[in-house]
Amino acid sequence: MDFIPSLEWITNPTVLARQFMAGLSNGALLFLVAAGLSLIFGVSRIINFAHGAVYMLGAYFAWTVVGAASRSPLAFAAAIVFATLASFVFGVLFEMLFLRRIYRSEQAFQLLVTFALVLILGDAVRLIWGREENSGLVPAGLEGAVRIFGVVMPTYRIFLIAVGALVCITLWRVLYRSRIGVLIRAATVDRDMLKALGVRTDRIFTLVFGLGCGLAGLAGGLSVPIVSVGPGLHSQVLIEAFAVVVIGGMGSFPGALVGAFLLGQANAFGVLAAPALAIVLPFLVMTLVLMFRPLGLFGRPD
Amino acid sequence: MSARLALILIAASALLIPAFAGPFWVFVAIEVVVFALYAVTFNLLFGFGGMLPFGHAAFFGLGAYAVAVLVKKAAWHPLLALGAAPFVCAAAAAFVALFCVRLTGIYLGMLSFSFQMLLYTVIFKWYSLTGGDDGLSGLGIPGLLGTPAALYYLSLAVVTVSLLFLWRLAHSPFGKALQAAKSNAQKSAAIGINVALHRGITFVVAGAFAGLAGALFALANQSVFPGWLNWTASAVPIVMTVLGGMHSFVGPIIGSAVYVVLQTVLTGYTEYWALILGALVIGIVMLMPEGIMGYFRG
Repeated sequence: MDFIPSLEWITNPTVLARQFMAGLSNGALLFLVAAGLSLIFGVSRIINFAHGAVYMLGAYFAWTVVGAASRSPLAFAAAIVFATLASFVFGVLFEMLFLRRIYRSEQAFQLLVTFALVLILGDAVRLIWGREENSGLVPAGLEGAVRIFGVVMPTYRIFLIAVGALVCITLWRVLYRSRIGVLIRAATVDRDMLKALGVRTDRIFTLVFGLGCGLAGLAGGLSVPIVSVGPGLHSQVLIEAFAVVVIGGMGSFPGALVGAFLLGQANAFGVLAAPALAIVLPFLVMTLVLMFRPLGLFGRPD
Repeated sequence: MSARLALILIAASALLIPAFAGPFWVFVAIEVVVFALYAVTFNLLFGFGGMLPFGHAAFFGLGAYAVAVLVKKAAWHPLLALGAAPFVCAAAAAFVALFCVRLTGIYLGMLSFSFQMLLYTVIFKWYSLTGGDDGLSGLGIPGLLGTPAALYYLSLAVVTVSLLFLWRLAHSPFGKALQAAKSNAQKSAAIGINVALHRGITFVVAGAFAGLAGALFALANQSVFPGWLNWTASAVPIVMTVLGGMHSFVGPIIGSAVYVVLQTVLTGYTEYWALILGALVIGIVMLMPEGIMGYFRG
């Protein structure tokens, strides 16, 4: 393995800015996936192994609406909205039908049920959409590149960063400035106390699982123009989202944001510095965090 | 039917399999035996020790790759490599255990998961040593021991001895202390049980025997693949354990037999085996959470 770093790019401001922006756009997508994963864990203490599979489902939903050849911005917008809403509904149904019965069961059961969903969704997309790798087009108006901070960046990447920032601000406002946000955050601290105070916590659990799945579906939909949509899409995303959530602290919203930013940057610069090492890096960091600081950057003990 | 009679019948039929079955079913039988050991090592951690690692496949895969690398790159005899694999895995498990035993619940599971992914990525990328995506093949045992029947008897013998050892361990004072620590760690510590040490030793033993199972499977397959230690592979022993019944030593063994035979039969009819398995897993968790053993005990 080639683990020897090359660092001649470090004095080149254009390269630095380019990698920074690339990392930012990857981090934006990662944030959408990881924030949902972290919210779900925070409230229900369930590690959703199917989170990557829901992301993949969102990508297929969006691809079905927009197709392989359309550049229409309207169709694209419809595809994104559909992917988000359909994933939200899927999450709500799955929570109500299965997950809610096992919140008090052995942790292994919760793990197995979300894992079973990975197996089922993996085969379901093969049955419905086939084995091919599909790709979408960047919609009109977002294709090409723009010059920003002296760097030429694909417009779509800038769009992803903007969407990530928008969702982040919206989520922050919901979580920290609304009644339902107060309830969600209270549920992450002490769900039993919340229930004792008369709050219908079962609805909060359903809502949060749906919300998390909706965010994953949104990220999946947004990825259609930049990834190939196939049955293997879910794995890499899940693992990276796990790394983000562990680094940031499981159940922490700011943790997901900072973790996604850090991992996005680490990937972008790691590829330059030491390609072979870059692939190992997320797991190395994740392992080191769990070894020496299991609560991550912002995690709270139970 | 008494338990003794049942044991004799099972032992007799296990010994006679190669006499009646063709090479295909002999291989299936090897898989049942090997995965029975693998699932029991998981249940030692989970059912007896109260630890739920999400990445137990790391040790199964490491054992398999230890054999493959020793045979292909260092020209060891396969049987010698088989003997060495559990020690490689015990060393790795001891390192992970140093950090794992202090963690509880989900954090322990995640560290085990994370370690597995680290190992998986290194094996996947280190092409010159591990063959990367292609894995390593050509690991056959030379001579008479390389026939399917001989491989079966080898696996059966190794697994039987290992299971007897693990059974003794689980039912020894050590095992009782481990179970006490599972149900109440604080109380156990108060009566003088070194909880971290018990968990750590269990982790090492489980890792070593999971590695032995992986090493046997590598020799039976005559090849190894990185998918054996990918994250999805870690669910297999968990499914087997829950299927058979996690509150019993025998449960995972039955779970392995049912799982492997079901998989073999179903993949002959449909390519959507994962879909059926997923539905089956949800059904078991919802309808018979104590598994097959629990069902028959009533």
